[in-house]
Amino acid sequence: MATRLTLDPVTRIEGHLKVEVTADLVGGRQQVVEARATGTLFRGFESVLRGRDPFDAPDITARICGVCPTPHNQAAVAALEAAMRLQAPENARLMRNLVLAADFLHSHILHFYHLAALDFMTPPSMAPWQPAWTADIRLDAATSRVLVNHYLSALDMRRKAHEMGAVFGGRLPHTAAFLGGGFTGAPTAERIRQYRSYADEILAFVRDVYAADVEAVARAYGDYFQFGAGPRNLLAFGVFEEDAPGTLHLLRRGRVEAGSSALRPVDVQAIAEDVASSWYSDRSGLNPAAGSTNASFPKANAYSWVKSPRYAGKVYEVGPLARMTVNGDYPGGVSVMDRHQARAAEALKIAGALEGWLSQLEPTAPVFADVRMPSRASGVGLTEAPRGALGHWLDVTDHAIARYQIVTPTCWNASPRDARAMPGALEQALVGMPVSDTAQPIEVLRVIHSFDPCLSCAVHVMRPGRTAAVSVSRGGAWSSIVTPQA
Amino acid sequence: MNTTRRDFLKYCGISAATLGLTASDLLHLQDVLANPSGPIVLWLQGSGCTGCSVSLLNRISPQVPTSAADLLINSINLVYHPNLSSAAGIVAVEALDAAYARGGYVLAVEGGVPTAFGGAAGWLMTDAAGNDVTVAQAVRKYASRASAIVCMGACAAWGGIPASKPNPTGVLSVGAYTRRKTINIGGCPPHPDWMVWPIVQIMLGKSIPTDSAGRPTAIFRRTVHDQCPLKETDEAKYWAQPNRCLKSLGCWGPETVAACPSLKWNNGVNWCVGAGSPCLGCTSPSFPRDGAFHKFPG
Repeated sequence: MATRLTLDPVTRIEGHLKVEVTADLVGGRQQVVEARATGTLFRGFESVLRGRDPFDAPDITARICGVCPTPHNQAAVAALEAAMRLQAPENARLMRNLVLAADFLHSHILHFYHLAALDFMTPPSMAPWQPAWTADIRLDAATSRVLVNHYLSALDMRRKAHEMGAVFGGRLPHTAAFLGGGFTGAPTAERIRQYRSYADEILAFVRDVYAADVEAVARAYGDYFQFGAGPRNLLAFGVFEEDAPGTLHLLRRGRVEAGSSALRPVDVQAIAEDVASSWYSDRSGLNPAAGSTNASFPKANAYSWVKSPRYAGKVYEVGPLARMTVNGDYPGGVSVMDRHQARAAEALKIAGALEGWLSQLEPTAPVFADVRMPSRASGVGLTEAPRGALGHWLDVTDHAIARYQIVTPTCWNASPRDARAMPGALEQALVGMPVSDTAQPIEVLRVIHSFDPCLSCAVHVMRPGRTAAVSVSRGGAWSSIVTPQA
Repeated sequence: MNTTRRDFLKYCGISAATLGLTASDLLHLQDVLANPSGPIVLWLQGSGCTGCSVSLLNRISPQVPTSAADLLINSINLVYHPNLSSAAGIVAVEALDAAYARGGYVLAVEGGVPTAFGGAAGWLMTDAAGNDVTVAQAVRKYASRASAIVCMGACAAWGGIPASKPNPTGVLSVGAYTRRKTINIGGCPPHPDWMVWPIVQIMLGKSIPTDSAGRPTAIFRRTVHDQCPLKETDEAKYWAQPNRCLKSLGCWGPETVAACPSLKWNNGVNWCVGAGSPCLGCTSPSFPRDGAFHKFPG
């Protein structure tokens, strides 16, 4: 007999998520046969941005997510610079990379130890770690103890990652140092030394502790390489610019389709947003540059504040596994455990790249370009958050923000069904997941956590916009330029 | 669940060094361990970004609790926190409700209260009867039996960015929505020390005098400009001019009450103005205002 299970709240994620699954016997084994993911909070950032100074966008959009704010700073400055048709100086590019990398490292460490690991171990015997489910805990007492200790040392490491980012960014979370056109401060020799000392310590932790702990979990839960695949289409916008025009990235832009290893290009025009199951009243299938969204609650057949972005009509997964696969750095498959492994491998790759950026900084070189925002302009900023591909679409009219549209990683991963009734990536990944004890559906939680959902990012209001010709002006961002009015 | 903190430390095999404790901290730690039932704290997240919780995890101080780990293990019983609780779904809801039945807990709220669509702009949980519970319903319920309500950050305290013009989801502050007295910890996010301080005061049974905006006067006392090391310097003409006053770039330090210049952020590593970034005024009830954050000279 089918059993309906509701997980609400889903804890140990960022934001507000409800997951409902139906479990039934298939081939003699009880498993998920249907899943629905509901984003349960919406805030309306785009409408808050409308009418504001375009240069406020980095500091406002950062507050979309306090776990991974810096990617929003990065996407916003890329959109602003695309709209102004300028490149920030090298020092700005490098310091942005260094602050963004600090935020990635904090986030990946936090995700594994503080959000996900409790699904696999016997947690400490007190709040907030109790009450806890006890089903299917395979790590022995000694290994669990080691993980609990590393949970605590990881609290220190993620704190230090934020301290490292604050060396240039002033503070984290929510740096105020990202400006359209550059960066607010100069990289002094003292600051470079300070960042480096943190970088060495964090690299050692990621290499010697984090990677080993993920391996220990992967050994005990080897069957999780078979579970939670989802659509197996992987998309990455690319992140950590390696040249001034933003054409080269540490983790490249691209996409891989299910069943093929071929690297395919990303055409931003192929992205369309669907609202068939979302509480908005607008037409489905519009590109974000032309999208409109008006909240509509209640609405028949809708069940989420998250919209459903699709690429050429297909469901894509985004995140560390997508980035590492697209970049040729991860040879594994797509599953719960592959997501954890790829995230740990990516943390090591990023930690290993810090020294290269530090060594390129020039304390006396410029950090800021002359900026002039045309009275009318548009720009798109594409980057990656720890959780996956992130895009900001900006329209400026009369020197103010006329429209701001944000498509976040968790929109891709935790989207509801689209107009063709195609479930989102997480919904697909849940189907087929065995559930041994419906009173303790820990398996469901493991699949959800493997995506590292960030719901604050995923739910927002978008403003009506005009269709605009989109051209590629720089590798780091697409922009469409409306002739400036003098 | 009934295990004491002493058992917990023994279980983990934790040494004082692991927690970064000094000899004197260790004495205090022993005192706390002798009395393992710290005050119950329930942490709810409404219309916010989790930035306040992340900032709380950045706690590091010579004073106890010396770190986030010390806070969680030795200071408080954090019965519910959306990002830290092991339990999900109904198990988490039951933990909240057991605390509610007893009453007398500290309620920490991060994020404001969305009221649009009859509260449907934000849900927090599904209750035991299968009903969707909105943020508004949950905040009202858990506030009603709290011994104190601490608003962690701009959104819970005054609405913050989600409540700024045109406030598309009808966000209200926790105080405005519940009509209860709240202790308002400003900041977007607040410094971790500002969030730990009121909890410690409540633990010690001390009263917390506040200003007209509900901010503890012990924390929010002097303007940023008043304490700024760049106060008497020439005004910067452009970005990245070290050791110049940032007023001409749009600094809100003169209007903003906060201890950032002396306290600094992230273990004292830096602060906004130290990175050449003008103060955005994030501890003020008016944050983020309507106007431009920055001025671009030239």
